[in-house]
Amino acid sequence: MVKPRTFGYFFESAGKSLVRNSWMTLASISTVAVSLLVLGIFLLVAVNINAVAANVEGQLQVTAHLATLSAAERGRLETEIKAIPGVTEVRFVPQSEAWQRLLEWYGDNQDFLAGWEEENPLRDSFEIRADVSHRVPEIAAAVTVLAGVEEVLWGREIVEQLLAITRMMRLVGIGLMVALALAALFIIANTIRMAIFARRREIGIMRYIGATNWFIRWPFVIEGLVLGLLGGMMAASVLAWGYYLAVRALVQAIPFWPWVQPWPFLQQLALLLLSIGVVIGILGSGLSLRRYLDA
Amino acid sequence: MLELSNVTKAYPNGSVALNQVNMLVERGEFVFVVGASGAGKTTLTKLLLREEKPTSGKIAINGKNIAKLRPHEVPYLRRSMGVVFQDFRLMPTWTVEENVAFAMVVVETAPRLIRRRVAEVLELVGLANKHAQLPSQLSGGEQQRVALARAIVNKPMLLLADEPTGNLDPETSWGIVKLLLDINSTGTTMLMVTHAKQIVDTLRKRVVELESGCLTRDEKCGIYHG
Repeated sequence: MVKPRTFGYFFESAGKSLVRNSWMTLASISTVAVSLLVLGIFLLVAVNINAVAANVEGQLQVTAHLATLSAAERGRLETEIKAIPGVTEVRFVPQSEAWQRLLEWYGDNQDFLAGWEEENPLRDSFEIRADVSHRVPEIAAAVTVLAGVEEVLWGREIVEQLLAITRMMRLVGIGLMVALALAALFIIANTIRMAIFARRREIGIMRYIGATNWFIRWPFVIEGLVLGLLGGMMAASVLAWGYYLAVRALVQAIPFWPWVQPWPFLQQLALLLLSIGVVIGILGSGLSLRRYLDA
Repeated sequence: MLELSNVTKAYPNGSVALNQVNMLVERGEFVFVVGASGAGKTTLTKLLLREEKPTSGKIAINGKNIAKLRPHEVPYLRRSMGVVFQDFRLMPTWTVEENVAFAMVVVETAPRLIRRRVAEVLELVGLANKHAQLPSQLSGGEQQRVALARAIVNKPMLLLADEPTGNLDPETSWGIVKLLLDINSTGTTMLMVTHAKQIVDTLRKRVVELESGCLTRDEKCGIYHG
């Protein structure tokens, strides 16, 4: 086991090496920063696409129009609907409220509705929401067969197409994400390998002098950690700042769009990028060293 | 001190670099190892440093068979000897002082002792005033002195010098050889692989000659070509 002051030496040695090989240090930090930045940008896009998909899916619902029912019958029906697996919310919409919505919908052009008010032709209904959007079709089917339900509306074709589209968006997003993450890993690991290759003679000298493997390894691992940390910090700060400004501008331009808010999302993203940087830095240098050390 | 018994080294490609070599070196001896290129001199140094393992035979340093060392024990073997190479092998980005001190940092000597001993050794090799320079700012002879300082800073029992004057002009070479003699006179066993005929012929020390992997000559007060 090494003495504590030797650890001091490891840090000192790593620091000196980072400064003395400043060109390599700069190149490595930039590579880490750029790789993580690209990865981060894509993550931002993917998360926003996912938010849009979730938002759209969240608006899906099943509307059940009812026959004329007594309060007791209606209560029983509501209990039955709530018992259907996947149903999270059942909301009763009386015909008066439905009429109000119709009026609002037509706004200034509601003249033609005048006179219908007395004998409101609309029916009472239940609006039913599902825990996950892909269960909407089966819930609709289950509601249809219940007594007291006259008609079920859920926009079969639209829902099915929409679900297909959001599924596609997610799959493509995840696929690109994984590919990009692998590319970033590869680029960073390769940079570290080159940096160590450039110093293989030094490693050889250390071995002749009788340095143990860990004695040689520690300064490199610390260097890797610092490179990864600095690169990750650069990527995270550029990304956080850029996204903050972008969302501020976009919210004004397209207010109804469900932008993912910067906080606390950016904090998590920054933490993720930093962790990736540090882990690759440490593992990259630790593993790349192996071939230059004694078996 | 150092004993080779029936040491054979054959490489996977079939070439036999050393063939049944026997040799005994006593503590404090000064031994020249000579021979043409490809005679097995480099293989011998590699075996002593445990960079390679012998195919058969036994290499004992202070009675311990180094062929049987486990990988994690190898660094400790190397600490017990000093090494000097033809190409100096200094850390290019480290100062003279740091290069020498490293050998002591590796064995975790206290910084206070390191400073004192490094100053002492640099004084001994005549580089006290160049302690803060980088190897690239030094001449070849000076770089070899730094390497020598690093090799002896931990007071090893055995100093292995692999063509230490190979890259130096005759005059500078003599400076290095005088240092090696000084070090030897303090009791350090010296094994010097060399092609420098003039040095070997002048000093009349023990000479061991290798020829195609076989030990063909071992003379007490030998010359370069017997």
